[in-house]
Amino acid sequence: MSVESPRTRWFSRVVLNFAVLLVLLPLIYMVGNSLKPAGRTFENVFLPFTSTITFENYRNVLETVPMFRYLWNSVLFSFGVAIGQLCLAVPAAFAFSYYEFPLKKTLLAAVVLSLMVPFVVTYVPNYLFLARYRLLNTTPGLVLPMLGISLGFGIFLLRQHFMSFPKEILEAAMIDGAGSWQILARVVTPANVSAVSALFIYILINTWNQFIWPLLIGGGRQEAYTLTVGVQMYFINPEAGNRWGAIMAASVLAAFPTVIIYLFMRKGVLRTFTEGAIKG
Amino acid sequence: MMKSAASTSAPGRSYPLAGSRVRISFTFSRHVVPYLYLTPALLAIIMFVYLPLARTLYLSFHQGNLLNPTRSFVGLDNYTQLLNSPVFHRILLQSAHYMIFSLIGSVLIPISLALLTLHLTDKELDFYQSALFLPTVIAFNVVVLIWAFFFLATPNGLFNRLIALLDQPPQSWLRDPSFALPSIALIANWKIMGFHFLLAVAGLKAIPKEILEAAYVDGAHGWTLMRRIVLPLFAPTGLFLVTVTLIGSLDAVFTPIRVLTEGGPNNATNNLMYAIYSEGFRFFRVGQASAMSVLLILLFGSAIYMQYRLLDRWVTYER
Repeated sequence: MSVESPRTRWFSRVVLNFAVLLVLLPLIYMVGNSLKPAGRTFENVFLPFTSTITFENYRNVLETVPMFRYLWNSVLFSFGVAIGQLCLAVPAAFAFSYYEFPLKKTLLAAVVLSLMVPFVVTYVPNYLFLARYRLLNTTPGLVLPMLGISLGFGIFLLRQHFMSFPKEILEAAMIDGAGSWQILARVVTPANVSAVSALFIYILINTWNQFIWPLLIGGGRQEAYTLTVGVQMYFINPEAGNRWGAIMAASVLAAFPTVIIYLFMRKGVLRTFTEGAIKG
Repeated sequence: MMKSAASTSAPGRSYPLAGSRVRISFTFSRHVVPYLYLTPALLAIIMFVYLPLARTLYLSFHQGNLLNPTRSFVGLDNYTQLLNSPVFHRILLQSAHYMIFSLIGSVLIPISLALLTLHLTDKELDFYQSALFLPTVIAFNVVVLIWAFFFLATPNGLFNRLIALLDQPPQSWLRDPSFALPSIALIANWKIMGFHFLLAVAGLKAIPKEILEAAYVDGAHGWTLMRRIVLPLFAPTGLFLVTVTLIGSLDAVFTPIRVLTEGGPNNATNNLMYAIYSEGFRFFRVGQASAMSVLLILLFGSAIYMQYRLLDRWVTYER
């Protein structure tokens, strides 16, 4: 709507630009401080950058911290949850969208209600469960409960998309003799590939950024740290002391993968998060 | 749709594809197939959500140590202890404080900013959405570290240098009971704000342009247009944001508390969600943590139920 006066429009722009500045400043300081030479962090604390830019903090972190090990653990954790989510949520959403069966409403309600349960409530019992089966500090121990907790969201989101898929196409496929599995694998999933991949990205980013859960379950053994846990352990490590440049470099390295995904798939990510929140 | 399909076949026996005239031929399969597709997902949800919930309820009547499998039944002791504990009252009160800060930072501010975008081109809007959303995609505990740097208690910390310009003495922000909670709330709302801005803009875009233009032609301008047309139509989105924020506010401050204050100093930044975590994993008191979990679920459950009732009535009146 371009019906308002230019003055109102300029006022909006000024306020919004200011908001953008406030939101981005901490991130700018994060990158800036990681590039300051060691010992010069506080030289002029208001300026995010010094006149000399150095990568010594990054070299330092990569030499002293097994970042690639952490990176690999984060990859296993987040891809494990995201792939598991697709393997379980796609068939379940398919059943909920196209079949009628006893208890359907009850089961669907149970799935949706599982979303409302705060994660923190399940920490203690799930921890006890994993401890009993010796799954602490292992990838399955990290992945499985996280999968169970986030599944309700995926099923619900995909069901919304599947429901709007034209029934005539399914009928045509059935007349052609396709079994239900073929319909799922060859018709419904390919036709909803954008919704499925959006869900995948959403779960991937969310799982990658998890901190408390991998800290509880994988925080007991350095080989099991994810990137987020590894950065935290580096932060509280007394040897890191007040080496803010190195801490910021570790932070930037940990933030890098999801920011890259975001920059390349911005439109898709924004749409997914909007849809996810409103439909979920 | 389903009813018409079912009525043409033997009622009560077959469950065809919803809304379809064609049946899966094999009788056995039409009863079993949907369950086959559902079982893995349902098992995972039951295993890691519903059984833990039941276990939480069970544990809340017991006393035990996280690291020790022996437990003793104590009836309602955990609950009575909690409800009589001044610390628990404080934790509840502070949970409310966090919610109030969130209503400002994660509802009021993002909605106000979204209302400002009514006049902007799609390209500008895209820029603001993308930029403000950036903190959402970064791991929270990682960006909290830059705030730790800002809030440094030493005189050369950034915020202390900033207030030094106003001749104020340096503060130990996160260790001062009066500054710690607002500082934590500020960090959490900084992270959430852009996401809620995105949702508010989506709600605003859902208002049909024709209505706005018609109202404008009828002489509704500026504030009148906003108050009479835009805000009433935006109300369901607003209520949705309020609910999401109230439910998410304690979750949003969880990570900064864990990284920066661990609930301290002297419980000044503690809240209901973090207390569950610290009872369980710092003090290993499984019974107390579980009793608090049950209270949290009752509290949130009733809040969500009330919102649905309210939204239901609201939306039916609108349409």
